[in-house]
Amino acid sequence: MRFALAAVVLLIAAVAYGQSQLPLRDLGVTWSRGAAKVSFSARDLADERVRRELSSGLRKRLVVTVSAHLSGSNWKMGLRQFGCDVTRDLWEDGYLVRIGDQSERLKTLEQVLDRCLVVQGLFVGEPESYELQKGRDIYFAVRAEFNPISKKQCRELIRPTSGDDPVGPISVNIVRRRICRAEHAIEFRGAVLKVPQ
Amino acid sequence: MSRFERKILFAIGLSVFLALGGSIFLAQGALRDVYAVGVNERFGAELVHGVEARRGQLMALRSASDQVADAVQWAVEAELTKNRKRSTLDGLLVELLERYDIVTSIRVIDEAEKVLASASRAPDPLGEEVRTTTRERESDPGTGRLRIAVEVSVPEVYFERLQEAGEVADVYSRLQRQGASVSDVYAWVFGVLAFLVILVAFLIGAIVSRRVTRRVTDLAEASRKVGAGDLTVALPTGARDEIAELTQAFNEMVRDLRDSRTRIEYLQRIGAWQDFARRLAHEIKNPLTPIQLAAQEMDETYTGEDTTYQKKLAHARAIIEEEVATLRRLVGEFSAFAKLPEADLSPSDLCELIHSIEDSVPAVLEDVGHGTAAPIEVRLSCGTEPIAVRMDPMMLKRGVDNILRNAIQAVYEAHPKGGGRVLVRAYESEGVGFVEIRDNGPGIDEENWERVFDPYYTTKAEGTGLGLAIVKKVVLEHGGEVRLDRAPEGGARFSIELPLMEPR
Repeated sequence: MRFALAAVVLLIAAVAYGQSQLPLRDLGVTWSRGAAKVSFSARDLADERVRRELSSGLRKRLVVTVSAHLSGSNWKMGLRQFGCDVTRDLWEDGYLVRIGDQSERLKTLEQVLDRCLVVQGLFVGEPESYELQKGRDIYFAVRAEFNPISKKQCRELIRPTSGDDPVGPISVNIVRRRICRAEHAIEFRGAVLKVPQ
Repeated sequence: MSRFERKILFAIGLSVFLALGGSIFLAQGALRDVYAVGVNERFGAELVHGVEARRGQLMALRSASDQVADAVQWAVEAELTKNRKRSTLDGLLVELLERYDIVTSIRVIDEAEKVLASASRAPDPLGEEVRTTTRERESDPGTGRLRIAVEVSVPEVYFERLQEAGEVADVYSRLQRQGASVSDVYAWVFGVLAFLVILVAFLIGAIVSRRVTRRVTDLAEASRKVGAGDLTVALPTGARDEIAELTQAFNEMVRDLRDSRTRIEYLQRIGAWQDFARRLAHEIKNPLTPIQLAAQEMDETYTGEDTTYQKKLAHARAIIEEEVATLRRLVGEFSAFAKLPEADLSPSDLCELIHSIEDSVPAVLEDVGHGTAAPIEVRLSCGTEPIAVRMDPMMLKRGVDNILRNAIQAVYEAHPKGGGRVLVRAYESEGVGFVEIRDNGPGIDEENWERVFDPYYTTKAEGTGLGLAIVKKVVLEHGGEVRLDRAPEGGARFSIELPLMEPR
């Protein structure tokens, strides 16, 4: 019993420590119909190398993940993710940006960054999630990634060799995670705020 | 867990985990080398070059499309400057289409957005997907401002191939960057799986070795018990291996020790009884003669007239003389028991012993039958081959005679009218010489099978209980054993076992 209690205390301390390590940034949070709408900019993800890669003519991916957490907890009470597939059009000047099933052409890289990394009024989580947490402290965490390889694509690109040995599939799974993770990522969190009553 | 078990397990663990550590180390090095063969800078550079080449191809096509648009503009301007007729443009545009493959259509449009001339290529019958763009040029050849729209297209596959090459180069560069850690992942996954396999093997090994070590620790525990004096220990031998042989040897050793101790204890007890018999014989024998003489003197020197008293004296003298005679016989037997010599062993044949006993059988039968031969069938047998043992023939004959006499007496009491049988035979089996005396008499109750060899234990009214004790002492001094059990005929069976002489 004492061991379990100590483990819980350690876990909470570790979570709190982990949260405190994320850099703090101003996030605009408004509430609409019981759900949070978050606004922020992650344009600083696009450093010089990222900009060069985005202009290479090869399809690159920008993914932004926003999650809502109870203060002192890692549990995600709300999650929202969206990604842009950005391809510079080598045939004609401009960029082809694909978000979900929608495509649009943008003339400059700055427009692309504004479209993909500057978020205005993004709904995060469902009203039901916040309904139960009224008055409690929460915070929003943001992770912006440059060019993570999607799970599906990663599975297609890195396959275990056919065979009955268990080493291959397990190793390939671990290698996939490492190989397919984002080439560059930034994380930050907003200030702790209370869910309105 | 015993120290022995801990040492065995430590040895197993050390060997398997050293092997595991070594194999991980070697596998890690081998994997890095293998990985370096497949993923290296040269391949990566070539892939990047491939991507650059495809990109360069597209950029060249783009540049070419601009140049074609310029060329079309110049041709149209030249035609209009030369002929001043717009009607000749159609033929020129068809000619230009034939000249430039990437051009799919050309339109010449005036300021009012009216198409003055146009030409277009027929759609590709194969339906190849193409990417199309329009290059527009402004022109003023003196006939009014014109806009020349040149539509060019390139196969979409060029763009797809660029993307595919880019993705492969991207993954490859990631693999290259993660090179060391990828081989480490393989090595560690292999290591963890091998560890689990070895752990299972170790546990199985521990269980199996425990069966062996338990037998060894059981042996050690049994040895401690034997050392403490407990000779009843016997261990199961189990499987056929060296430990089973060791256990068997241990069991035999304990059994020999137990037999030796029993023999020594019995001989010590007999020795004590001999000492007691000697003292008893001495103490009883000395007063017998004065008692007898005193009784005789009292009877002979009475001079009185009282005839009744004289009769009483004579009766008392007779009783005293009879009891003194009995006591003398007892003293004689005690004395003989006390003076029983130790066996003087020499190489002899058990069959000769049987033959010598055969000679004394008639006398025994007559003695038991009180003057006439008792109607008992006594058979003696021995094989044709001599049974060589080391023995004292006289003492052993005395012992066998004793048992034979007891058997004849018992059978005679049970079958006084005839039908009694006694068998005496000698034979050898598994390195042991046997003399067996068995009968069809009433036998002896099983609870007395051990006690009959104790001195002074007898079931007969006139017995001294020394006969079988003497037999056992003699046999033990021969290094043998005498046992009693039930004969197949229902009576008693005495078996004297003597070790055979080693063949020279």
